[in-house]
Amino acid sequence: MTLSSLLTTAMATVSATATVTATAAATVTAATVTAAAAPAVSAAASAQCTPTSLTDLGHLLQVLGTFLGLSLFSLGGGNTLLSEYQHISVHQFCWLSPSQFANLYALAEAAPGPSSMLVGLLGLGAAWPEGPWWALLSGYGAELAILLPSTLLMVAACLSWNRLRNSPWRIAFERGLGPITLGILFEVGIKILHTADTNAAGVVVSLVVCVLMLRTRISPLWFMAIAGLLGGLGVINR
Amino acid sequence: MNEQPPSHRELFIGMLQVALSAFGGGLSAWSQRIVVEQRGWLSNEEFLTGLTVARLFPGPNQINMAVYIGAAFHGLSGALVAMAGMLLVPFTLLMLLGVAYFSFHTLPAVDRVLAGVVAAAAGMALSMGFKILDQYWKDPVALLLAAATFVAMEFFHVRLVPVVLIAGPLAMAWYWPRTPRSPGQP
Repeated sequence: MTLSSLLTTAMATVSATATVTATAAATVTAATVTAAAAPAVSAAASAQCTPTSLTDLGHLLQVLGTFLGLSLFSLGGGNTLLSEYQHISVHQFCWLSPSQFANLYALAEAAPGPSSMLVGLLGLGAAWPEGPWWALLSGYGAELAILLPSTLLMVAACLSWNRLRNSPWRIAFERGLGPITLGILFEVGIKILHTADTNAAGVVVSLVVCVLMLRTRISPLWFMAIAGLLGGLGVINR
Repeated sequence: MNEQPPSHRELFIGMLQVALSAFGGGLSAWSQRIVVEQRGWLSNEEFLTGLTVARLFPGPNQINMAVYIGAAFHGLSGALVAMAGMLLVPFTLLMLLGVAYFSFHTLPAVDRVLAGVVAAAAGMALSMGFKILDQYWKDPVALLLAAATFVAMEFFHVRLVPVVLIAGPLAMAWYWPRTPRSPGQP
């Protein structure tokens, strides 16, 4: 067994214990292991997942093709795609480690502008090993790819809206896909919570934020600022 | 409504203004304030129709809204210009943030702060389903469809695309508008 795979196993076990039993002892162990293993994390992640070997251009085309194909499946404002993004970038193409994915999701939520711009960050991450310029090209390309098909459909819809408005297809589509979106969003929430993989304090913060998002109109930026502070102080860790 | 429809340039600047005003949130409210109240490009009713279309069709709602506004005046080219105005500044900022992230994320201090931010963001993701749960509460078939979708994805690891392609047509068939006489419609 190599050192990196040993570390991965140890970390997975420890963090699972921390989330499930939430004992103080396990939390402390997780903190120590994470701190010690931080530089090895990316090595461990790449040992788990083997990326396909492609040329730089081939890699870019892989990014563009992936997001072009997903564009029309972004129901409910695009958030339904989050767990698919996680699967693609972490498990299928090995662009990112799980915690990197969670970080990028948090960055996209915290930054101004539509949070669906996460796709640009995924494209950036996919090509980061090829240097920042390729990465930026890949980031802009990924965002264009995810937006192009849905934009074309949207333009067609706007131009023919008067005919579509009372069509049975429109009514069935709206009513039928609503419940499916609901199911997907719950799955997405749990997937992101899993990917975040924080200690017990972090899970408590996640649940509190969830309730506050539903019950109050406080800007989520406050939640992220306070939670970031708790992270900096070491209360929340992973 | 103004007599003169906005030019491409005005569309771009208008959407840029929406994007810049909405730093810190409330994109939809800003877009209504600027497009309807300040510039008078759309009537309030047209704007609300736009929101309906934007939510119905695939794609991020706010970006679809920009596409709707642009397309209303100049078709596809208007849509692209409006979208570019909406995205250019925030997206470029996000890309710079991303470059900074990939350059410095191995620093322990950065990682610690991000662990906290990630916990809050996970809570936001968790709230998305609950946010729309209310509107389906009285429709058992909708809840069943949602539950089946959830179980297929969470426990049987079915991916998004097959889920939508299989469950979508089934749900559409069930909710196909029937004549008023037929019972069982919500």
